[in-house]
Amino acid sequence: MNLLVDGGRHREALLALEDGTALRGRSVGAEGETFGEIVFNTSMVGYQEIVSDPSYAGQIVTFTYPQLGNYGVNEKDMQADALHLKGFVCHDACYTPSNWQSVVSLPDFLASRGVVGIEGVDTRAVTLAIREGGAMRAAISTTDLDPKSLVRRVRESPHIEEHNYVADVSCKEPHVVRPKGEVHHRVVAVDCGEKAGIVRRMAEVGIEVTVVPWDTPAEKILAMEPDGVFFSNGPGDPDTVPTVPETVRAILGKLPVFGICLGNQMITLAAGARVEKLPYGHHGGNEPVMNLLTGKVEITAQNHNYGPVFSTFGPLVPELSGGLTEHPESLLTWSRMHVAPVAMNERYGRIRLTHVNLNDGTPEGIQFLDLPAFSMQYHPEAKPGPNDSAYMFESFSRLMDGREDYLAIDVREGRRF
Amino acid sequence: MPKRTDIKKILIIGSGPIVIGQACEFDYSGTQACKALREEGYEVVLVNSNPATIMTDPETADRTYVEPITAASVAKVIAKERPDALLPNMGGQTGLNCAVALAEQGVLDKYGVEVIGCDIESIQTGEDRELFAEAMRDIGLEVARSETAHTLEECERAAEDIGYPVVIRPAYTLGGAGGGMAYTHDDLVRIAREGLALSANSEVLIEQSLEGWKEIEMEVMRDSAGNGIVVCSIENLDPMGVHTGDSITVAPCQTLNDFEMQRLRDYSLAVLERVGVACGGSNVQFAVNPNDGRVIVIEMNPRVSRSSALASKATGFPIAKEAALLAVGYTLDEITNDITQATPACFGA
Repeated sequence: MNLLVDGGRHREALLALEDGTALRGRSVGAEGETFGEIVFNTSMVGYQEIVSDPSYAGQIVTFTYPQLGNYGVNEKDMQADALHLKGFVCHDACYTPSNWQSVVSLPDFLASRGVVGIEGVDTRAVTLAIREGGAMRAAISTTDLDPKSLVRRVRESPHIEEHNYVADVSCKEPHVVRPKGEVHHRVVAVDCGEKAGIVRRMAEVGIEVTVVPWDTPAEKILAMEPDGVFFSNGPGDPDTVPTVPETVRAILGKLPVFGICLGNQMITLAAGARVEKLPYGHHGGNEPVMNLLTGKVEITAQNHNYGPVFSTFGPLVPELSGGLTEHPESLLTWSRMHVAPVAMNERYGRIRLTHVNLNDGTPEGIQFLDLPAFSMQYHPEAKPGPNDSAYMFESFSRLMDGREDYLAIDVREGRRF
Repeated sequence: MPKRTDIKKILIIGSGPIVIGQACEFDYSGTQACKALREEGYEVVLVNSNPATIMTDPETADRTYVEPITAASVAKVIAKERPDALLPNMGGQTGLNCAVALAEQGVLDKYGVEVIGCDIESIQTGEDRELFAEAMRDIGLEVARSETAHTLEECERAAEDIGYPVVIRPAYTLGGAGGGMAYTHDDLVRIAREGLALSANSEVLIEQSLEGWKEIEMEVMRDSAGNGIVVCSIENLDPMGVHTGDSITVAPCQTLNDFEMQRLRDYSLAVLERVGVACGGSNVQFAVNPNDGRVIVIEMNPRVSRSSALASKATGFPIAKEAALLAVGYTLDEITNDITQATPACFGA
């Protein structure tokens, strides 16, 4: 927004954080009031995919990139039909996009979908506040412009952990997505808030996907006799999502399983391991992750506040873990050694750490060695983000074909065009 | 991969005088490279004819030769210093050309000097219009179409093949006289007739016009393990048709959506691989049609360039320093990010 031109057009708005931070700006998108958990996303491009990602349900997204909306909003990059995020915070929104595919400007799009947003705030200050205080409750309002009052009301608002957002964003009826070409595999995808990009990537490698609601019982899934089962990404605290870990448990060992993001957490819980809340999470399109099986680094797209704790899967198997007998303090030990360690899980046997985040040493991918299953904490479909990890969908295909080396694929494969 | 221990002494060709192709940005990059390699314990020998540069300050290299950047004089330095390796892509095009000449004259073979950071063949592929076009077609990328013509009829045929508008470039005329842009058949006849008359050998090049297309540059790096990162994307505020040197550029790119950006990332890294930049930084330039998103590769520079200086300053990512470290065997995940001092240099923009 150019203040010289638009100065009087937009209403004043207020952003308030649980830690007492209050910043004045101007309304962008819908007017009104919204409460949610505030997070920041560091992607420089891909705001349309971000605002339409169902995993942001319950959250207010701050963009660290300073100017949003330059290429407008198009019809083909939506990750879901509805927008589930709670609010939108940016430094500067563009009202006059320039791109051949754009059909509407970002502010008009947000307004038409009823998303309350604020622009003209110091997003660096917001980001620093989140880095210091962690993801916290926040509000954007065009009606309550008194900082004291709005901060007080933020502190009275519910925590994200108090609600199962998966039930809100999951599809209500099953539906089938077919690949353009030949069908090589048929998969059931348990939709906990699945991004459209995941199904599209599966279709690209010849997988026909039947998307089913999150609470579909395991017997029903098994009765469909698919070649594999996929557990999707999704919003909120994994501990608020009932039944899905049991569904995973009923399927593991019977059919090949693949999980992304929340799906990875569901698989972790199914194995009896622990999921922790990260200080401020990973949200962006530029996180380096090493595939410990190939030693190659993928620049990945991520969007999660929670993640598994690898040591809780079980004790190390020294002969498969470079001789180490104890879990090291940081998983970066493994990326330095180029070793993919294996833990002995009580329930499922050997589980291998396959991917590590090079920024903070968090676990990004695991593989079951004694049954056909693997899962990723990050988003191999990207959308938005680099194509480095797209090979993961080929990996799923290979897993369903019964190949053992299914994860050892060069990152360059994902960049083929 | 840890750094290489089989090389001890590295020769760097510097930036030379400040003229087009040898500008001060190469003083910046060369200085970074010298410092980085010395910190790693390598002995650095520098050749640079321009004493008015930071890199020729006595503390920058172990030994500095203020000598002309020609194959003959650099050959003498090699004979005297006997370096194990030559890092040629820090001094701009002059440095690259000098390295090619040294290779062609057999000097590098004679003294057993290994070229690091890029190889001679990749320099040639990057520079030669025909070789580059062929390499791009090889990996399925489009380049601007062009045909040479010697008669008016050939010109007409070429323009019909390529489609209007076309650019007409007469060969061997002074200062590009007689060229121009033809939007119609009438334009073509008028300009081509004049061009053919002015050209010393009656030859003109008829080239597809990209006027008005978006001009995008990608600053990418790649290491010997195949890891690739985009340091920075750059969009020219003025479209194709306005020389980059006259245009305002903005980093990062402003008007491409995620699909279009990631496609250019994939293309850029594929171009590096095909041209043969095993490790280091390169600048790849694209034209993107604003009406349908079609992409054409304009050129690539297998070296640090004007844009890498801009990208380094805009992002805080010291491209030349990192490129020097990659050249001696490190991979991107082993180098610490200069900004955070904690996370790896392997990250994405």
